[in-house]
Amino acid sequence: MSNDAAARTGTDTAAGTKPARTFWGGLSVWAPYTALMKLATASPRRQFVILAAFPILWVLTQHLGPMLQMLRVSLTDAYPVAPGVEQHFTLDNYTRFFGERIFWQPFFRTLIFAGVLTFCTLILTYPVAYFLARHVSRKNQMLMLLLLLIPFWVGEIVRTYAIMILLGNTGAVNLVLKWFGLIDRPVPFMYTTFSMGVGIVYLTALYMLLPLYSALEKLPKSYSEAAADLGAGAWTRFRRVTLPLTLEGISSGCTLVFLISTGFYATPVLLGGPSTTVFAETIAGFFHVAGDEWPTGAAFATIMFVTAMLLTGVFQKLMYTLRKGDTK
Amino acid sequence: MTRGNRILLSCIYWAFVLYVFVPLLLMILMGFKDSKFIGFPIRSWTLDWYTGVFADAEVVSTLTYSVAIAVLSTLISVFVGTWLAVLLEGRRFFGRAAIFGLTILPALVPGIISAIAFRIYARLLGIEPGMGAIVWAHAVHNVPFVALVVMARLSTLPKSQIEAARDLGADPIIAFLRITFPYLIPAILGASIFCLLLSFDDFVRSFFLGGYEPTLPVLIFAKLRSGMSPEINAIATVALVLTAAIGIWAERFTRRANKDAKT
Repeated sequence: MSNDAAARTGTDTAAGTKPARTFWGGLSVWAPYTALMKLATASPRRQFVILAAFPILWVLTQHLGPMLQMLRVSLTDAYPVAPGVEQHFTLDNYTRFFGERIFWQPFFRTLIFAGVLTFCTLILTYPVAYFLARHVSRKNQMLMLLLLLIPFWVGEIVRTYAIMILLGNTGAVNLVLKWFGLIDRPVPFMYTTFSMGVGIVYLTALYMLLPLYSALEKLPKSYSEAAADLGAGAWTRFRRVTLPLTLEGISSGCTLVFLISTGFYATPVLLGGPSTTVFAETIAGFFHVAGDEWPTGAAFATIMFVTAMLLTGVFQKLMYTLRKGDTK
Repeated sequence: MTRGNRILLSCIYWAFVLYVFVPLLLMILMGFKDSKFIGFPIRSWTLDWYTGVFADAEVVSTLTYSVAIAVLSTLISVFVGTWLAVLLEGRRFFGRAAIFGLTILPALVPGIISAIAFRIYARLLGIEPGMGAIVWAHAVHNVPFVALVVMARLSTLPKSQIEAARDLGADPIIAFLRITFPYLIPAILGASIFCLLLSFDDFVRSFFLGGYEPTLPVLIFAKLRSGMSPEINAIATVALVLTAAIGIWAERFTRRANKDAKT
């Protein structure tokens, strides 16, 4: 204490009669700055405008803008417009989608595929999340969760390649099967719906696991114990207590995984075959060739986006009513 | 819960751990195989593929290109995301719900659609495909993650601290810079590292907005399309080690920062 005081008086004498001023103190009395601040905070309204103008402008032009421009391009007959050519409004890009099987088939395949995979991911990760949240001590929980996080920091392409090595004709799975004498010649796992499914679940599992884990972790153990005291068996406890109270986690996990699954491009290209073309590949096709196909690609992307949003919206609404019904 | 249940669940957990680790471990192993052909069994081992990777000027320049894109896009995302969080958290104004919805929109748009929309919009803005376009697309795509993380942290800042600062004569900017911003630093650092990894690992946006110079995932993709080779394993392993190391370090760092903030 006394040392401190001595040090302080020391600096005071060193600075002479003028007390030492901090940077912030200096700024707050610097005339140009105070004048500017006075101007900016003249009214709460002006202060808010200064705070809000940039971020609102950003989300409108950078977040909403690309989607609106995509919609606009999808309604034109030519984009980018060549000099001397007039651009017309048209719905042809949308009617084209329904006209040809090679367009709508991958579309429905993608939706069904993403739906089935979302369900598989849920079934696969629910027990894992349940185990972590219920049967592991708090200290180990974080460590065991971290263990699962590590592979998910690795990028999409690297993990897809890892699946190619796992499932290839000379891959690890075929090698093991051969060792056990189960097969004579390699099973062609690759370039099928199966390999694509394994790859996509591998990429999305974490987006399901984390919401499920946080929902289960929030749920007090005492609820299940109370049900047990009232005579409910393990299955009834799960079906009537745990499952309904984790619907929120299930709902957000499924929404995330579904949206992400519909958007994969590289994984289906690398792991799928000609009979498993997904809609992302169809859309991408319009952007590899000459520019005049862009409006069609934009229209197809819009169809995909609107459908995916509607489906997840309906799904969330459904889960919401289910949740409300249960608490009544 | 019965004992049997517990054992069954723990088996499922460890099986899941195997499922997420084994493919990557196999891929790493394959990078040490002394043969051009990918496949098991591995009979002899070599380090040649790795020495080849670091001697390859294309790989090294791609790596620096990817890192530069990640750093630049992260700086933009953090700046915009933090500002958005400060605007949205704990403030009521007309249209707040709409602005919040728009803030998280880029994170919800499926990958291919987001890449296409950015590709079209870049043309409208006059950004040529290449580094600028990729940096811009990554920055916009990562803003929602920064905003959400910073908002979560901001909601735990005791309001009394800001009020005390204002009572002592600090104007809004000084109160923000001296009270709010230091409090947000752990969240901002955590979000930055998340953005760095997202950008470094991103394929679909880099692929559709890139010029002739590839980012690392785009390079690996291009090489894969022309056939598998242990050289790709070596490149992929370098990328894997880099991202996983940053991820683990960030996890430890944010945990420690949170602990410090609580005490």
